Amino acid sequence: MNMSMQSPAPPQSPAPPQSAALRSFTAQWRARTADSLSPLREQAMQRFLKLGLPTTRDETWRYTNLRALSAKTFVDAPFKARGEIEPNASLSLLGKSDRAASLLMVNGHPFMPAADGLINGIEIYSLREAARLDPKALTRLMEPLSDADQRRWSLLNTALFVDGLYLKITAQVATPLVILHVSAGSGGDDIAYPRVIIEAAPGSSATIIQHHVAQGEHTPLNNSDTHIVLKQDARLEHYRVYATGADAAHLDSLTVRQEKDSRFKQFTIALGGGLVRPSLEVRLDQPGAALDSYSLLVGHADRLVDCVNIVTHGAPSTTSSQTARAIASDASRVVFNSKVIVDTGAVHAQSQQSCRGLLLSPTAEIDTRPQLEIHADEVKCAHGATTGRLDPDMLFYMLSRGIDRETAQSLLVYAFLADVLTGMSVASARAAIENALIAQLPDSQTLRNFR
Amino acid sequence: MLKIIDLSARVAGKDILRGINLQVNAGEVHAIMGPNGSGKSTLAQVLAGREDYEVTGGSVTFEGRDLLAMRAEERARAGLFLGFQYPVEIPGVNNVYLLKAALNAKRKAAGEPEVDAYEFLTLIRQKMKFMQMSESFLTRGVNEGFSGGEKKRNEVLQMLVLEPKLAILDETDSGLDIDALKVVSTGVNSLRDPKRAVVLVTHYQRLLDYIVPDRVHVLSGGKILKSGDRSLAQELERRGYDWVSEAEVA
Repeated sequence: MNMSMQSPAPPQSPAPPQSAALRSFTAQWRARTADSLSPLREQAMQRFLKLGLPTTRDETWRYTNLRALSAKTFVDAPFKARGEIEPNASLSLLGKSDRAASLLMVNGHPFMPAADGLINGIEIYSLREAARLDPKALTRLMEPLSDADQRRWSLLNTALFVDGLYLKITAQVATPLVILHVSAGSGGDDIAYPRVIIEAAPGSSATIIQHHVAQGEHTPLNNSDTHIVLKQDARLEHYRVYATGADAAHLDSLTVRQEKDSRFKQFTIALGGGLVRPSLEVRLDQPGAALDSYSLLVGHADRLVDCVNIVTHGAPSTTSSQTARAIASDASRVVFNSKVIVDTGAVHAQSQQSCRGLLLSPTAEIDTRPQLEIHADEVKCAHGATTGRLDPDMLFYMLSRGIDRETAQSLLVYAFLADVLTGMSVASARAAIENALIAQLPDSQTLRNFR
Repeated sequence: MLKIIDLSARVAGKDILRGINLQVNAGEVHAIMGPNGSGKSTLAQVLAGREDYEVTGGSVTFEGRDLLAMRAEERARAGLFLGFQYPVEIPGVNNVYLLKAALNAKRKAAGEPEVDAYEFLTLIRQKMKFMQMSESFLTRGVNEGFSGGEKKRNEVLQMLVLEPKLAILDETDSGLDIDALKVVSTGVNSLRDPKRAVVLVTHYQRLLDYIVPDRVHVLSGGKILKSGDRSLAQELERRGYDWVSEAEVA
C-alpha cells in the first residue's frame, strides 16, 4: 500500500521524464519548511534532480540496479517507532557490563539524551539545534556538494534530512559511544534520511559505533549520510554495522576529512539487509594523516552488498590501509570497489589494499576491483585481490584430524575473517559481531566454543 | 590391523597405484621406501581418505572395517592418523583449538565425554615438552609461520595427543636436521606398543636407524616390488633403488 501524495508537478529542470521516485522526492522537498540551511538544500535538490537516480551506467553503480526502487513513490518514514525500543537488549552490540553510552535515532530522528546520559568529552547537538546556533559552521561542514555518482544519494539527504546528530569530541574519551539507528517503517514505501556529523577536536580520541537495526515488519529505504572531520592528532575508531532484515535496502555514505597526524580506524560490517550499499570516501588532507579501513562483507540468501571505498592521499607522508574480506553464500553477491588516488605532491604516500573473497556456493558471486591512480612520485602503493573457494588442502587437513566437515568449513570461514576481527579494539563489540557472524555459519554451536 | 589387497588409484586421470598388497599387524612398524614419484605419498593420502584421489580397484580393511567406505574424518576417529609430508598452514585457526577439536571428535565417536579444558592444556604442555616445542606454539595459528622442522614436530605432537591405532607418517623425516630427527624419532618410538602399528613412508634409510622397522617394502611404479626385514633398507642404501627395479625385471 503506497501512501498517496499530492499531484506532483514536473520540475523545471530539463531532465528526461521522471520516475515515480523522483516525483515523490520532489513532493517531499516541496513539503519541507525552510530553515537556515535552505540555500544549501536548494542547491543540493536541484543538482540531484538534474542528475537523477544513479543507473548501472554510472561507474560505482555497475552492480546495483535501482530500477525497482525508482518505480516507488516514497513518503517520509514516521518520526517515531511503534512500540518500545530497547537499545540495551538484544539489539545491543555491547554487553551489559560494558561502560558505554548510547544515543538513539529512529528513522533519522535523534532522541536527545537526558543530562545524565551525557559523556564527558563529547558534546551532543541535534542538527536542528546546530542549524539554529551556527548555520554557517554547519553549512561549511556539509560543503562542498559533490556530483560524483557515489555521492548522488547524499545530495538528496542534504536536501531532505529533517534532523540528525552533531557530535563534537573535545577530549580523550575512553567510553565507546553507540548510535543505535532504528529503522521502523509504516508499511508503505517510506524513506528515512539519517544524518550524522562528527567532529574530533585536535588531540581528542573516541570510539563511535553506528549500529543499524530494524524494528517491525517493514523497513524504510535508508538513505543515510555521515561526515567525519578529524582535526590534528585526533584519533577515532568508527564502526558501522548493518544488521537489518532481508527486505531492507540501505544506501549509506560516509565521508571523512583528516588533518595533520590524525588516525582514523574504520570498520564497515555488513551482516544484514537485502541491499546494502556502503560507501566510504576519505581525504587525507594533511601530512601524517593515517587511515585503517576494514570491511567485512557477508552475502547471504539473495543479498547484494555493494561496497565502494575511495581514498585520496592529498598530502605528503599520508598512509592508508584497506582490508576487505567478503564472503558470499547461496545466491548472494558481494562487490568491493576500492580506489586509491595519490594527488600530485603527495610524496611518500603509502597505501595498501588487501581484498579477499570467499565463495561458499556455486551461485554466489564476488566482484572485487582494487584501483590505483597515482599522480605523485616516490609513493609506495600495493594492492592485491583474490577470490576463491575454501582451500581443499586446509579442509582435508582438518578432516584427517577427525573434525567433521561442517565444523571444518565454518572454522575456515571464521579464520578467513580473522584479519578484520582482530583489528577491533572494543572487545564486546567484537564479540557481538562475531556472534552475529557465527550465527550465519553452519556449525554455530562448535564455533561458539572455539572462541 | 590393516589389510590392503590389490589397491589401485588414480590422481588427475593418471594411474599412480597399480595393485598394492600389504598387511600390517598390530605391534608392527613397517617402512615403505621408494624413489620419488613411486606412489608412496599417494598411498598415504588414499589411506587417509583424500577425496580427489580416485580408487579404481582393490580393497582396504582397517580392523575388519571397509576403510574405503569411510569418510576421512571417520577414519581419523576410528584411529587412523596421517602425518603429512607438507603440513598445511591454517592462519586464524589456533593450534590448540584444532587439537582439542580433533581429540573431542574422537572421544565423542567413542562415546566418551569431552576433555576438560584444564586437563587438556596440561596434556598439551607435557607433550610439547617431550617434543621440545616452544611455548609460542600455544598461541599461533595451525603451522602458521612454522619452519619445516617445526611443522614435522607438530605432526608428531598431534599424533601423541590423538594416540592413533595406526599412524602413517609420510616423509616425516624429510627436511629435519639430526637433532630434530632424534626428537621426532623418540616421539614415534614412544607410541610403539603391541596394540598399535606405524607405517613410515620414507625416501631415506636414515630414519630407520632411529625407528627400527619390522618390515621394509620397496614401492616403485605403483607396486610393491620387494619386501623384507631391516636389512633390505640397508641394502637399498648401498645399491640404490635401480637395483630393485632391475632385479624385478630380471
